[in-house]
Amino acid sequence: MSDSNRAAGDMVPGDGRWWRIGRVAGAALLIVVLLALPLYLPGEWLKVGTWMMTGAVGALGLTLLTGQAGQLSLAHGFFLLVGAVSYAVLSGPAGDPTYIGFGLPPVVGLLGAVLISGLAGAAFAPVSGRLRGIYLGVASLALVFLGFWLGRALPAVAGSTSSGRLPQPFSIFGLSVDVSRQLSSLSVFGVPLGRDERTWYLYLLLTAIAYLLAQGAVSGRPGRAWRAVRDNETAATVLGVSVVRVKAGVFAISSAYAGLAGVMTAWWTGIMKPDESEVAGSYGVTVSIAFLAMIVVGGLGSLPGAVLGAALVFGLPVALPLLTQSASADIGSGTAFSPIVITNFAYGALIVLIILFEPSGMAGLGRRLLGPARART
Amino acid sequence: MLSVRQVSVRYGRSVRALQDVTFEVPDGQIVAVLGSNGAGKSTLLRAISGTLRLHRGALTGGQVVHDGTRIDRMDPAAIVRRGVVQVPEGRQIFTRMTVEENLRAGGLVTPAKRRAAARDRVFALFPQLAERAKQSGAVLSGGEQQMLAIGRALMCEPRVLLLDEPSLGLAPQLVSRIAGIITEINDGGTAVVLVEQNATMALRVAHRAVALEVGELRLSGTADELARSDDVQRLYLGGHAESEAEAAAAAEHRPRRPRLRVWSG
Repeated sequence: MSDSNRAAGDMVPGDGRWWRIGRVAGAALLIVVLLALPLYLPGEWLKVGTWMMTGAVGALGLTLLTGQAGQLSLAHGFFLLVGAVSYAVLSGPAGDPTYIGFGLPPVVGLLGAVLISGLAGAAFAPVSGRLRGIYLGVASLALVFLGFWLGRALPAVAGSTSSGRLPQPFSIFGLSVDVSRQLSSLSVFGVPLGRDERTWYLYLLLTAIAYLLAQGAVSGRPGRAWRAVRDNETAATVLGVSVVRVKAGVFAISSAYAGLAGVMTAWWTGIMKPDESEVAGSYGVTVSIAFLAMIVVGGLGSLPGAVLGAALVFGLPVALPLLTQSASADIGSGTAFSPIVITNFAYGALIVLIILFEPSGMAGLGRRLLGPARART
Repeated sequence: MLSVRQVSVRYGRSVRALQDVTFEVPDGQIVAVLGSNGAGKSTLLRAISGTLRLHRGALTGGQVVHDGTRIDRMDPAAIVRRGVVQVPEGRQIFTRMTVEENLRAGGLVTPAKRRAAARDRVFALFPQLAERAKQSGAVLSGGEQQMLAIGRALMCEPRVLLLDEPSLGLAPQLVSRIAGIITEINDGGTAVVLVEQNATMALRVAHRAVALEVGELRLSGTADELARSDDVQRLYLGGHAESEAEAAAAAEHRPRRPRLRVWSG
């Protein structure tokens, strides 16, 4: 099998028993580590982790669309906004004089936001079902500008650009995420679970669900239809695949993923407000491109690659200043050659190096490293 | 029974590809469609499989009827679900997928419980594909790719199989292998519409045949009748002594075209 094929995330069953055992053991170890991390890491590092997971959820959706189905979207930022605003409105307090809210429980707001984002993606079907590749990418870019304009035009829904509105913190069965460490009645091994720890576990759960659903789709019928459409539309058509429906469907699914990432973004930033520029901000073109960078760096179509790409693209810019915090504290000027600028350069160079030397991304790198071990089994 | 009734097709506004083509494919029979390049053979298959739009073509008249139901306005996917399945020209296999994944993609419309049986039948028909199940489609030879394309279509459990030039670019012994496979598929009860430039092979395996010329139906009948027809002999089977002599005589009597003085010296 060619490298590009593997990069496409086609499910290849394990070659031997030891390989399978190793995979299960590795996954179990990863779960234990991820569950134990909040007991050891300080809050600011947990925030780096939850930001990575936010990126991972969005990147999973985009890698299904771009890597598996061969469609390009630059509208991921727009669907992040749709998800975040939908959640803020659905779960926002009903009697608020400034902002529209329905006062629904956060879990309903969360599911509703994902659903609305998916439906917004489905509403784009006349375009997403008919266009291909770069053409769809450019057409979808229009949505980012639409979102930017709508956000500013409807402050009662999206929050005003100056103050913004507060997204309801997540809670279920009386158990809230928004509890300070000092007041927390929950503890594990003597470590009280405060806001950061609880957010970590919530994000971990959401990311795991998003990952498993994506994996099920990729290895099942939807994934086969996506790859058939990606590889050869004519052949897919004569095999009974409705190309328009498949393309529109995967766009809607990808939008739903972006919607979930949008809700996670609103929680993470702690405020819901539209961007002040169409380029920079939480829901603009830059964010859409950052998601593309994640899936390219991770390896197009690969789910673990999308997660690793998110860890790099979303994680490094937040994590590196923490490492150089003491040195950067006194930097005021934006043009100074500060440690933050240096870390940004290093991060940019790392992305260029990965793409240059391993075009199939971190997924390709992983296969190269694990390949010999796998061949021995 | 598949009926093509007075079908006319255009590509864009100006290119007329088919004009009033009518013929029938009885259940369980092989019908060969003969014709030279540009005669409209592939267009005819696209009109049946509903894939004209992929090539910017449109049905401008006539009907395609399968078992009493008009299928010419159906979505191509719905036509496949009815059991009318095309193997497009140029094989068009998924080269980024393995042989097995190609076959799985072929079985997307087949109910899950019947898929394994369909794959076993394909592997029984094409043992090479079973041996190369884990290999990428891109590394297969031309003949194997054609087998994979046919096998992938068989995963849809077709009742009518539309084959577009399956012998194109294959060595003579592979062509007779493909001919044997078509007969074998037909023995299982699948009707076949076989578009071919290799008229010798097509007329050997077919029950009936039609010949297209510049988008119009010129001849139709049983394969034996067409094989004996002088027109078919001359046009598609390489001609024979009499017709060649006639052609030479006709050339003799052709009026000479005026030549420019500069050439005639």
